[in-house]
Amino acid sequence: MKLSFSPEDERFREEVADWLKDNLTGDFEQLKYRGGPGDEHMYPEERKVWERVLAAGGWTCVGWPMEYGGRACSIEQQVIFFEEYARAGAPGRVGHIGEGLTGPTIIAFGSEEQKKKYLPGIVAGTELWCQGYSEPGAGSDLANVKTKARFDEARGKWLISGQKVWTSLAHESDFCFVIARTDPDSVAHKGLGFFLVKMHQPGILVRPIEQITGTSEFNEVFFDEAECDAEDIVGAPGDGWKVAMGLLGFERGVSTLGQQMAFQNEFDQVVLAARENGAAQDPVIRQRIARAHTELKIMRYNAMRMLSGQSGSDGGLQKEALIYKLYWASWHRSLGELAMDVLGPECEILSDGPYELSRLQSLYLFVRADTIYGGTNQIQRNIIAERGLGMPKEPRGTL
Amino acid sequence: MDFTFTEDQLLFQDSVRDFLVNEVTPQRIRALWDTDSGRDDALWQQLAALGLTGLTVSEEFGGLGMNELDFVLLAQEAGYVALPEPLVQTAMVAVPLLSSIGGDLAAEWLPKVAAGEARVVVGLAQNRLVEDAHVAGLILLQRGGDLIAVTPDQVSLRHNDSVDPSRRLFMVDASKATAVAEGDRAALLVGAALNRGALACAAQALGLAQRMIDMSVQYTSERQQFGKPVGSFQAVKHHMANVAVRLEYAKAPTHRAAYAIANRQAIASQAVSHAKLVACEAANLAAKNSHQVHGAMGYTWEVDLHLFMKKAWALANSWGDAGFHKSRIGERIFADGADLGAGATFS
Repeated sequence: MKLSFSPEDERFREEVADWLKDNLTGDFEQLKYRGGPGDEHMYPEERKVWERVLAAGGWTCVGWPMEYGGRACSIEQQVIFFEEYARAGAPGRVGHIGEGLTGPTIIAFGSEEQKKKYLPGIVAGTELWCQGYSEPGAGSDLANVKTKARFDEARGKWLISGQKVWTSLAHESDFCFVIARTDPDSVAHKGLGFFLVKMHQPGILVRPIEQITGTSEFNEVFFDEAECDAEDIVGAPGDGWKVAMGLLGFERGVSTLGQQMAFQNEFDQVVLAARENGAAQDPVIRQRIARAHTELKIMRYNAMRMLSGQSGSDGGLQKEALIYKLYWASWHRSLGELAMDVLGPECEILSDGPYELSRLQSLYLFVRADTIYGGTNQIQRNIIAERGLGMPKEPRGTL
Repeated sequence: MDFTFTEDQLLFQDSVRDFLVNEVTPQRIRALWDTDSGRDDALWQQLAALGLTGLTVSEEFGGLGMNELDFVLLAQEAGYVALPEPLVQTAMVAVPLLSSIGGDLAAEWLPKVAAGEARVVVGLAQNRLVEDAHVAGLILLQRGGDLIAVTPDQVSLRHNDSVDPSRRLFMVDASKATAVAEGDRAALLVGAALNRGALACAAQALGLAQRMIDMSVQYTSERQQFGKPVGSFQAVKHHMANVAVRLEYAKAPTHRAAYAIANRQAIASQAVSHAKLVACEAANLAAKNSHQVHGAMGYTWEVDLHLFMKKAWALANSWGDAGFHKSRIGERIFADGADLGAGATFS
């Protein structure tokens, strides 16, 4: 065990910090601390420009292998990169789905052709991705996918029809990865395919969902014989579930670091607000802030522990992945509640009309989504109990 | 950066677990409740033979010369079986304190500890009562601003019954004694001992929580109602999932605290407080939810659950209670210029 960074890594830290100091200036100043979870609707155009500047500096996909345009940073360096990125207040990444999910999935499961076709656009920050998993009838029962993919021999393309929902940033994206049923007679997780689909085409309609924040970052996406090139299925027809689950593994890896750093910035804001309005003198608030701090620290330690590769080997749950979602979602929801209690009675007053929320108000509302999307807390507890602890399974209707 | 244990550390943990699970059964613990001392010299000898009593004693004095990080996983295993013997306090608190005091006292007692010939216990003001003073060859006591060392002939003991029949607690009156450390030096030693004691509690609490989870998973997989194992019901399994999360996430802070102490880092006090809080919370939640899923059976003296639950309860209130440790963390967070932000993963 060695809980520190080497001098070499610390030099890398300086390099990152210097670059951010030199580049996160001018027009980009306004982006500081913006565009994170719950704030993704803010400054989309400016953040797209920032993504390209970041790419030009070689700071996208830093953990990817060199051959795919990455920087092949060690785990330590990736940790440091995310630390410094957050410390500088650099904005939420418009390219995070491509970098964190699509890219690693294509690298792991995709063809050489797919790698050549899609990875450069992600690295360059010019092609943005969204994910098409959930459907109106496939929420907690994620495998109950109704969207169909049919191979049209005449056109030589896959034709996708159906509906996805809760698609983050679909309206800003160039591509979507879509799970669709390739075998119309199949049920549940069998007979699915994993498709890479161009968003800008006649067969796709994106309709924003207005959220309780009054803003829209989630969408409904309608597919009406949307076209997908024959070679743009990842894996074989029928392998979709395997690929999708592999992707979820990436979601719980290094990409959690960026999330935790964003949480840290939010937490710092809550502490700042408490110091400013005197709530920090209230012993109950102090204890809650202390608790939030220790729990965030736990998430950061566990990310380190997991990335060092030994989570679960000391008699615990075999997969860190099983428990992280439940923990961070519940933590984030509590942080939103804490933020409102810190503000006191003024927490209900809008910043501006017609419905402009302060950052903390928007945090409080947005966190209601956290304990639902990506597997509700209840689904997470089922998984932890059954797969982690080996408790008896519930009888299920469709499996 | 490396947040893992070595292969050797993990293998040692495995072998100690095997030994303890076989030797320290609930039946053996219950049998000890009815004896005068509640302690088992034969078991203590076995622990010494495995090198455990001398694990943190330097090689010069016949020990293995290992540190808190080497011992923390073993302390978890001691918790897993609710070991009544003061092994964890010896290796994690008494031996490091004696080593820091040094001189003739250390030279006389450390070899005896390593050989299993004597138990040494530590009593701090924070705890009021001293565990296992009745079987100790040497007692290190905080008295006012001093640290004193006394032998059994220099003290009178008053036994206090604990709700946990395995715990033997004593009010210690030392008639005459000479200080082994005074003033700032004594304060420093006492502070370090308190941190080690709290870490020892945290590590044992992890083991206790794991044991209660294991018992509950087994029980709810076997117990049937409405024609199904009760563990298949979400209302039951979610109780255990909540415990599993708390336990798994209490490990990293505990290991981080052991690392901080072993490497003499300035952050040790806060790291220890963090560990003690979350590990004891995990154990107490494990107890509460395990009782719930055991139904009425968990309320009986016959079922072993209460052995572990009572120990967890006691540990949570020893070596600094939740209020004490929370306030230590709070002080740090609200200190001016505290470095807590995104760049501070390990500070």
